[in-house]
Amino acid sequence: MNKVKKSIPEINNRIEKGEAVVVTAEDMVDIVEEEGEVEAAKDVDVVTTGTFGAMCSSGAWLNFGHADPPIKFDKVWLNDVEAYAGTAAVDAYVGATKPSKEDGIEYGGGHVIEDIIQGNEIKLEGEAKGTDCYPRTEIDTLLTIEDLNQAVLCNPRNAYQRYHAATNSRDETIHTYMGTLLPNFGNVTFSGSGELSPINNDPNYETIGPGTRIFLGGAQGYVFWEGTQHNPKDNLGTLMTVGNLKEMDSEYIRGVTFQNYGVSLFVGLGIPIPIINEQVAETTGVSDDEISTEVIDYGTPKRDRPELKEVTYSNLKSGLIELKGVERPVSPLSSLKKSREIAETLKELIEAGEFSLTEPHERLSKDREFKPMKQLAPTPVAADLMTRDVVTGSPDDSIEYAAKAFAERGFDHLPIIDDENELTGIVTSWDVAVALGKGKEKLYDIQTSNVVTSLEDEPIDSIARKLQKHNISGLPVVDSNGKLKGIVTSEDLSKLLRR
Amino acid sequence: MSSKILLNYSPEKAGKPVIASIIKETGIPINILHADLTPEGGEIFIEADAEKDRIDEMIELFEKQGVRTEKITRGIILDEDSCLECGACVSLCPTDALQLTKDFSIELNEEKCVYCDACVPACPVKALSLKKKKL
Repeated sequence: MNKVKKSIPEINNRIEKGEAVVVTAEDMVDIVEEEGEVEAAKDVDVVTTGTFGAMCSSGAWLNFGHADPPIKFDKVWLNDVEAYAGTAAVDAYVGATKPSKEDGIEYGGGHVIEDIIQGNEIKLEGEAKGTDCYPRTEIDTLLTIEDLNQAVLCNPRNAYQRYHAATNSRDETIHTYMGTLLPNFGNVTFSGSGELSPINNDPNYETIGPGTRIFLGGAQGYVFWEGTQHNPKDNLGTLMTVGNLKEMDSEYIRGVTFQNYGVSLFVGLGIPIPIINEQVAETTGVSDDEISTEVIDYGTPKRDRPELKEVTYSNLKSGLIELKGVERPVSPLSSLKKSREIAETLKELIEAGEFSLTEPHERLSKDREFKPMKQLAPTPVAADLMTRDVVTGSPDDSIEYAAKAFAERGFDHLPIIDDENELTGIVTSWDVAVALGKGKEKLYDIQTSNVVTSLEDEPIDSIARKLQKHNISGLPVVDSNGKLKGIVTSEDLSKLLRR
Repeated sequence: MSSKILLNYSPEKAGKPVIASIIKETGIPINILHADLTPEGGEIFIEADAEKDRIDEMIELFEKQGVRTEKITRGIILDEDSCLECGACVSLCPTDALQLTKDFSIELNEEKCVYCDACVPACPVKALSLKKKKL
């Protein structure tokens, strides 16, 4: 039985009279710790949360009105960014991550949304086949937010409860949706606002559900469903949200570009949690110390990436975490300052009686599963196509030895190994040709010692990417200790396609 | 007084121990902040601690050896209006010139910046830019 019970209408009544006690989720941590959840539930009416980070699964529905003669878009572009026109005649959905035709990821859907909010002129281009009722086949015009009938931010997946922290085991910098990750675990990035994150404050979905009014991009929006990939059992819940773009503020909705990765949208989102009982008071008392996440190696090009360590949001927000015996600098990718500001702003709106609370129409699932993609055949990995019987050389072998091996056996890569079968370098037929021209003698003098390699379980897509990125034609395959297991070449990949 | 100087190497000078010989000749401690040098030439960014006239003398020696020099004053700019304060830059900064303060604001300490350019392309809103300015 609950010791404290408050209804949403009661709380709204107090808000209307200016009597409601509203605190931010950060303040609530201390209140619950000092008073206990029962007293805290009596004292506090609403806890405000906030987050401001990249939410790629976002976009906006736009309606342009009808042209004369009318057109039914087959394809449509906004400032050179293609929007989805697969619904009725002049509706389109501009997705946050879509790059533009000309400028690529430097300008994309997220930037279009920001420009629309700012009232900037948007170039609209459309193509159609033409029908009896929609005879027009082309349109080219300029419009602003004022000219749109509806402009609705409609985001399939927002407000991730928490997220994995990212690092990189490779010996090269990689560019990901978790930002730039330096080689050899050189840095760590994370996302989410921890104790300020909406779902962390109501992980049982007692108050957040379809119909919950929220702060979205500076306007009042709503949760309308669970988000895609909602995974409450792993504390990775998400929300689908909707709000009127026409009322939003570009202070809280920003188009962004992650270097060498792509476009996204920073979304500012805050949810008021009504303290309807002591259980909710208790969950809103959650602190960064109690919210943990895993540091994941994004250097592994597979779905199931290795977990390196469990850390808390306190650890992450401190700016340094220990990894492999060394303190690593940490970047939050969500603005924690702005998250705090959103929680404060929402608090002020409620205190001023300008934001009232709503009851969810139904409860969100607490046990939805997040399934991986069903694939008809597993993706081949290096071990499936590598040559296992590899001719190798040692650093002290002569260049003639390599030349002879290449000529007799008809291959182009000679891995160089030490006595322990550990890979120390590689020599290609091209290296040998150059060496003979320069009069070098030992393989040691001509080998490339910084070798790009593959692991045995590395998917072929990753191998193809490495070959292309480094402009090479073969990758020695090694185990986790660097011992040579085989070699895979671009030839092997081509054979696979012909199979 | 410490000065930051950008040295520009032509392919002919790239393999020569220019810095070593100048340290030896002047006795000025030179710290290499950042180097981007290949056999095709490139840049080395140094910091030297000495009086102004001795720095000028050192610069003259570099020029005499065929290395072009640029004294750098104001190098990195943070546009606070467009900055999201997301912090993507801070863990990329090798010298802690970019840091998050206690209230999670971004703080740029130009003194520490070595103009390595790691942060500039990584900023999601292009709020950071490098400007090389000659004295």
